[in-house]
Amino acid sequence: MNPAVTLLNLVLCFAGFGALALSLDRHHRDALGSRVPAGRVLPLRLAGWCLILASLAVAIAFEGANFGPVQWIGALTGAALLVVGLASYRPAWLRPAALSALPLGILLLPVVLAG
Amino acid sequence: MRQGLRQSMAWLHAWSGLVVGWVLFAVFVTGTASYYKAEISQWMRPELGAVQADPVRSADLAAAFLKGKMPDAAGWYIELPKPEEPLITVHWWKSLEGPFHQALLDPETGAPTKARATKGGDFLYRFHFELSMPPMLGRYIVGACALVMLVALVSGIVTHRRIFADFFTFRRGKASQRNWLDAHNVTGVLALPFHLMIAYTGLVTLAPMYMPWGVQTAYKGDEIRFFVESGMMPEMRAPAGRPGELASVGAMVATATARQGEAPEGIGIYNPGDAQASVVATFEEPHGLAHLHPQIAFDGATGAVLATNGGVRAAATTSAVMVGIHEAHFAGPALRVLFFLCGVLGAATVATGLVLWTVARTPKGAREAGLGLRLVRILNLGTIAGLPVAVAAYFLANRLLPVDLAARAEWEVGAFFAAWLLVALFGAARAEARAWPEAFAAAALLFCAVPLVSAATTGAHPFAAGARFVGFDLAMLALAAGFAFAARKAGRGVLDTARRRAARTPAEEAFQA
Amino acid sequence: MSARPIIGLRYRAAVLGRVLLAALGGYAVAALATGLLSLVLPMPRSEAVVTATLLSFALMVAVVVAVFAVRSLGRAALVVAGLALPLGLGLWLAGAFAGAA
Repeated sequence: MNPAVTLLNLVLCFAGFGALALSLDRHHRDALGSRVPAGRVLPLRLAGWCLILASLAVAIAFEGANFGPVQWIGALTGAALLVVGLASYRPAWLRPAALSALPLGILLLPVVLAG
Repeated sequence: MRQGLRQSMAWLHAWSGLVVGWVLFAVFVTGTASYYKAEISQWMRPELGAVQADPVRSADLAAAFLKGKMPDAAGWYIELPKPEEPLITVHWWKSLEGPFHQALLDPETGAPTKARATKGGDFLYRFHFELSMPPMLGRYIVGACALVMLVALVSGIVTHRRIFADFFTFRRGKASQRNWLDAHNVTGVLALPFHLMIAYTGLVTLAPMYMPWGVQTAYKGDEIRFFVESGMMPEMRAPAGRPGELASVGAMVATATARQGEAPEGIGIYNPGDAQASVVATFEEPHGLAHLHPQIAFDGATGAVLATNGGVRAAATTSAVMVGIHEAHFAGPALRVLFFLCGVLGAATVATGLVLWTVARTPKGAREAGLGLRLVRILNLGTIAGLPVAVAAYFLANRLLPVDLAARAEWEVGAFFAAWLLVALFGAARAEARAWPEAFAAAALLFCAVPLVSAATTGAHPFAAGARFVGFDLAMLALAAGFAFAARKAGRGVLDTARRRAARTPAEEAFQA
Repeated sequence: MSARPIIGLRYRAAVLGRVLLAALGGYAVAALATGLLSLVLPMPRSEAVVTATLLSFALMVAVVVAVFAVRSLGRAALVVAGLALPLGLGLWLAGAFAGAA
């Protein structure tokens, strides 16, 4: 089991859940001071679900069809916990954290491929 | 029970959750700790260093010891030393109804170990599904609670309705009941796949006991036949009924090692004094999710290979995967942390649910709380704050009790239950609002004391040369920090209530006047 | 749910009835279904037993939830009986009671 893959899973799920949280009025207001602009909901939801699916794809590709999903579900829970923590205690950090998770994921990619 | 599906499901969720809540909390806490059972056992036997034990020699030493103890046993079982547990564990029994005897042997000498007597992580592990009760009774109770937990999960999902909209929502500083509801929802929903999985797979681990009716009808109750046919057990022989001489168990371990490419983790010897004794070598499960141990059966008299298990088909594999996921032996360090975290969330879901039950039923105004409500409050505090204190006391007792004390392992368990009882009594005697922060503070202090006492009594501290228990010490400190945080939160709740009461009193007086 | 009027004996009896029906009836239905499926599922008998046993817990949960979801205790009893009787009949037809006694 490669810790880099676990981390990449976690990062992708975190970014995905971050986008989903920001697509909800309550958290968008907490994070950015306004309701979600009308045209923003769909892109955020799409991005969120795609990132979460990408995490599943990564898990299955690198850990196989039996370990992959188990690890992915673990990562889902860990990432969701982080997003909830940010959304309720440091809502202003939610957007920057979710955005910076993406480059971190890209940085992890070579490590994952090498491992 | 009210009319309408959601109302009736809300009723079912509240009451089914309440009746099993206390047991489930204990099952979650001890089960979550069991992800680190080996590490806990290691910490609790600090005398044992890393020993590279020879499995063949260990098996012969163990067989000689068992022959001295009970030559006419129904069975012996030998757990060979592992790097993380450099001991031979032997079990022997006269009949399958028990009693089951156990001893720990030094792999160098084959004599009972000189390490301090303790049940180690095994105590928490067995508590997880036997509750320190007679084993069968405990298992039935835990099984019933797991089933009711599934009922509570299903009815909870129907009740919740706004799962997506409230997925990330934890509203801080709002009205108390709202707050507890958010906490219950968030911990419940975030780890929902884990909760469903762990309850269902937990039932599957003991399925032959809970649901034996398939074996009853299709096999006329012949459980052994079923296990052999499903590929989980190799075919074995019935005893001959006349005495015989057991061949070298070590030689059979050597044969098994040569065939499988690795040493077995355990050896079962059935009817060791009989002319047709059977010896079964069991190996660690191969890399994968399934909990399927390869096994080789030997003729006990000659040491010849009789049979191997295998050929497991789809349904039996599914079942083995469920058991495997429950136990998570396959999980590497990172995934094990996530499993541990999910277990903590499970315990938190139960705890917040129990507290929410009382908060939602607290009478408004000056009316007295009824007897039932007060009882639930006392049990809540006794369980939620009492169990962590008990675990910390168990660890402390391991370091503080004299190493050569008679019945030392039982005294450690005694410390566990004494501490638990003490907190429960304290909670019953003290006002609820004060008892919570004080009990949590006690847990924080005790967990904080564990690494300190350990360093003082064994000299093993994180800064010592060759420190072995840094992870354990850090985990204790993290738990201490967690409980300190909880104590502060609970204490602030008291302050808020006091402040609100102070603010309200003049108005109320004016109203009454 | 919090401020409840005084609870009558009738209500308590109905709750007790549902609890008993859910626990005993739910287990009975699950046990009968496990026994029957183990005999009739078209697969090797060890596989049939494992499949039936794995499904049994989901079935029991479903029965328990149903017992509490329907409108009255009488209907709940009908649901349980409606499941248990055909399963028991099937088991009898499959010959499970013939040799076991």
